[in-house]
Amino acid sequence: MGEFINIFIKSAFIENLVLAYFLGMCSYLAVSKSVNTAFGLGLAVIFVLGITMPVNWLISTWLLDPSTNIFNSYFGLDLDLTVLRLILFIAVIASMVQIVEMAIEKFNPSLYNALGIFLPLITVNCAILGGSLFMVAREYTFANSVAFGLGGGFGWFLAIIAIAAIREKIKYSAVPPALRGLGMAFILTGLMGIAFMSLLGIDPAALTAGG
Amino acid sequence: MKKVAEFLESKMPPKDKPILHTAYDAFFTFAFAPKSTTKNGVHVRDGMDLKRLMIHVVLALQLLYLFGTYNIGHQHFVALGEYTGFFEGLNLKLAYGLIKMIPLFIVANAVGLGIEFWYAAKRGHAIEEGYLVTGALIPLIMPPDLPMWILAMSIFFAVIIGKEAFGGTGMNVFNIALLARVFVFFAYPTTISGDQVWVAGFDEIAAGAAPTYGMIEGFFNDWIFQPLGWPLFNTASTIVDGYTGATPLALAYEGGWSAVTDVYSSQQMLWGSIPGSVGESNKIFIILGLGFLIVTGIASWRIIFSVICGAAVMGLVLNAWDATPFMGVPWYNHFLMGSLLFAAVYMATDPVTATQTNKGKYIYGFLIGAVGLIVRVLNPAYPEGWMLAILFMNAFAPLIDHYVVEGNMKRRMKRLKVRSKTLPTLTETEVQSPAEAATA
Repeated sequence: MGEFINIFIKSAFIENLVLAYFLGMCSYLAVSKSVNTAFGLGLAVIFVLGITMPVNWLISTWLLDPSTNIFNSYFGLDLDLTVLRLILFIAVIASMVQIVEMAIEKFNPSLYNALGIFLPLITVNCAILGGSLFMVAREYTFANSVAFGLGGGFGWFLAIIAIAAIREKIKYSAVPPALRGLGMAFILTGLMGIAFMSLLGIDPAALTAGG
Repeated sequence: MKKVAEFLESKMPPKDKPILHTAYDAFFTFAFAPKSTTKNGVHVRDGMDLKRLMIHVVLALQLLYLFGTYNIGHQHFVALGEYTGFFEGLNLKLAYGLIKMIPLFIVANAVGLGIEFWYAAKRGHAIEEGYLVTGALIPLIMPPDLPMWILAMSIFFAVIIGKEAFGGTGMNVFNIALLARVFVFFAYPTTISGDQVWVAGFDEIAAGAAPTYGMIEGFFNDWIFQPLGWPLFNTASTIVDGYTGATPLALAYEGGWSAVTDVYSSQQMLWGSIPGSVGESNKIFIILGLGFLIVTGIASWRIIFSVICGAAVMGLVLNAWDATPFMGVPWYNHFLMGSLLFAAVYMATDPVTATQTNKGKYIYGFLIGAVGLIVRVLNPAYPEGWMLAILFMNAFAPLIDHYVVEGNMKRRMKRLKVRSKTLPTLTETEVQSPAEAATA
């Protein structure tokens, strides 16, 4: 349980996918014009990350990884299917996004219209694929991958609603014309990245180990 | 006096020379009350005009300037083991503090105001006084030995990226003074963190190291102190054995509260004769400044109160956890160390970057207190947390406001709906009640 919380906090705040790794920037910049839309997209990302991460963990461990996959361990084959990793991960993510899309279209049509093309484009949101690849690279266990998916999604959600609120506020500022819109969003993201560096360096695992 | 003002006003450069005009206009309005008042923007939140508000904050900082300047000199001579009593060697300490502070102040204000002037001329609006406070705060939060070009770069970054890009005074999302400091902190970390930087005038803090005196100290020696028979800057003196220059926070990180009290007494920390940022050390003067700001209504007591609550609650939680020596430091002692009070009073209350709603102010302040103490105690990478905690919460302030306002709207909508449903019965009772009251 302690490790679950550690990874959740770490991936949500300390190693925030947007503000520390700058992943998932396209939808983050495009959909952060109003808090309500950003809130919807953020929830969708939490959901997609939270589901795809464990599913991808299962696929990666049982089907792909040569040391643990079922072909090798049960049928005595010698297969290394890690070349299929990217394509399978994307397939899982795309199907999850389809489900989210149908659900949002059914239950919240106005949000569906506001998100527009960016809802199906969660498929190619690099935060989600990047999360899955981080999970493989860091050799997480199944429980860890659940925590990482939820935490990473929550961090992304926090970042997008925070920048959406700031962008709603600076809509009324006398921003120089050349910087209006995306220019300002980039500057803001950089400054928010600096603000999030406050937590960089905290190691929750070391703290609980010490206590 | 009126004639002088009229004469000076008649000499105002024409508007087709924008830089001259805006610069002249700015200094004219510093000296005389302008005839026109601003009618839009941040200025009209209440009846108070921006200039008066800013000057009040600068006034509240004066005691800290006085003490901080003297303390630079005091710490320098404590390291040398000379004049260790606080009031010994007054002339030397004051002169040394001024030698360090005046260039910092001049560079901070010249660079910042220069950008403001240029920018105002470029965009064709009057100079806004917002920079006065930033320019007064920056020398108080930088180490006294910071190279001037780094200071200038940090102010370039903070004022252009953090403020002018957002549209100038009153539009910025992040606190300018803290952005300048955070720039130095991440770009030139060795100049602003560690035990070596808070005691001015040495290349390194080690036993036997000599102070780096230059021409100006020589000038003071030869032309002022020598003829008057006062103590002189002594180039032969060196740092005494065992002196480390460690701040209370560094000591607490190593060995908890007892390690701090081995070196500094609580009274010393309260009165501020310890190494540290110029503005943060004297807690008594910060509290006096706080009283002034609250009485004049400049600073929001809600934010200060909730920052202190947040820090106290988080301190209690950490005390209960008690895994490292620093976590075991009693929560009330956190207020004596580092810049907690300074940040709560002067940084967190910045009216532009804080939340605007009253309920939001409680949330904002509480989270600053909690996050700041988490960074201070749990983050081994940074010695102090308030700068980063405030920037962190600056990023979330508009979000907090958004949800406070939305929650308020929802509640009132609900109230409206309830009333419209019960409207017929309401009007009945309203019609009846005066008649009943008359008969009774």
